[in-house]
Amino acid sequence: MSDLAAVSSYWLLFAKGLGTTIWISWLALLIGSVVGGILAHLRLVPARPVRAVVVGYVELFRSIPPLMLFFGSYYGVSYALGLNLSPFVAATVALSLHASSMMSEVIRGGLQSVDSGQWAAGRASGMTNLQILSLVVWPQSFRVALPPAVGVYIATLKDTAVASVIGYVELTRSGLIVRENTGSSFLVFVIIAAMYFVVCYAISQLGAYWERRFRIVGHK
Amino acid sequence: MSATNDSSELVRIDGLVKRFGHRVVLDQIDLTVHAGEVVVLVGPSGTGKSTLLRCINALEDFQEGSVLFEGKPVGRGRAALAARRRVGMIFQSFNLYPHLTALQNVTLAPVKVHGVDKKEAESRARELFAKVRLEHRADAYPTQLSGGEQQRVAIARALATRPSLLLFDEPTSALDPETVGDVLSVMEQLAREGRTMVIVTHEIGFARRVGHRIVFMDGGRIVEEGRPADIIDNAKAERARQFFGSILRG
Repeated sequence: MSDLAAVSSYWLLFAKGLGTTIWISWLALLIGSVVGGILAHLRLVPARPVRAVVVGYVELFRSIPPLMLFFGSYYGVSYALGLNLSPFVAATVALSLHASSMMSEVIRGGLQSVDSGQWAAGRASGMTNLQILSLVVWPQSFRVALPPAVGVYIATLKDTAVASVIGYVELTRSGLIVRENTGSSFLVFVIIAAMYFVVCYAISQLGAYWERRFRIVGHK
Repeated sequence: MSATNDSSELVRIDGLVKRFGHRVVLDQIDLTVHAGEVVVLVGPSGTGKSTLLRCINALEDFQEGSVLFEGKPVGRGRAALAARRRVGMIFQSFNLYPHLTALQNVTLAPVKVHGVDKKEAESRARELFAKVRLEHRADAYPTQLSGGEQQRVAIARALATRPSLLLFDEPTSALDPETVGDVLSVMEQLAREGRTMVIVTHEIGFARRVGHRIVFMDGGRIVEEGRPADIIDNAKAERARQFFGSILRG
């Protein structure tokens, strides 16, 4: 198996690619959660125009395939605005746009799962809206939003593979480089597929652990 | 409306009108509640009793008239917050916080809203659990409690902020028949202590026994009010006689 020897001599490139994939997917998840969280809360605002803008954003960016978002933020932004975004920045923007639209819906679902009686109880005891959110609503909606949020993260992690098309060297791109240098396609794809699987599986398990950890006593 | 100097007036509602769109839900309501009084709102479903109750602590807004609590308009914003901090409310569906234990449910508002020291709030909460006869359930979560137990925790929660007024919104309507009595007896005890209470309920026997005044509502209006015996047995309005007749026969 000289293939294996040749391919494994690139272990550092695989490791770097994996690290980059994890790093940029976390970054996109973080930005996506913050932006998505803000959007989800804006949807609770009574003013119709505010909600309309949020709905427009969410529907737009979750309808566009990630591939187009990568092209759009790399080539499109430089073309339209004359900005020269690096592949890293362009990939982060593209992933964050997509992740924020998905997270917005996940968080909205969590917020809306909390019974209106909870708001009434909080208000009746003289809490401010921020106190009701932080003491009553967020702790309950977090538990509801966690499982689908794990799903969004896994989807985001896999979407990072598309960043290879704008020349960003993440795990898939690293594999393609090794493939060109060694000529070994099958083995390379098996290795990177296994690496994606291990990371996604670990995230799923972590999510399942958190679900158990934060379960409300007596709830399913 | 002229302001009065009657210091025992805890709640004063004048000419209150509430609409949902074009539908009038509350129509020209005048109601005064004095300190130490137990006022029971009764009437058919959908006549605005709960909505009126929720206007007193500004959970509902209204279009005309005024609601004074302890002499101040409840209104919106800070005024609403200030009023709510002096009023305790008990809901039909309990609305306990499911992610907190019974004890944490009771200490949350004292600690976070009123700035009471946590230890102090806990020892006060334990006294309240004794009062509602749930000393042994303080560390249970709401879903581990029966409906009647949950409602008694909710009463303890409402009492924990030392309110000057208690509002009960159909407190026994969601309960199994055998636990209704436990909740009513706690409420009766609170009435004996001289607490000011406004209660929406269909428990006519309780209203007769515990209420100082019965307010009969229909179609968003107060039709008749007076001492329990006068209203329940000798209502002047035809609508009220029908209502109590059907309930007492039932």
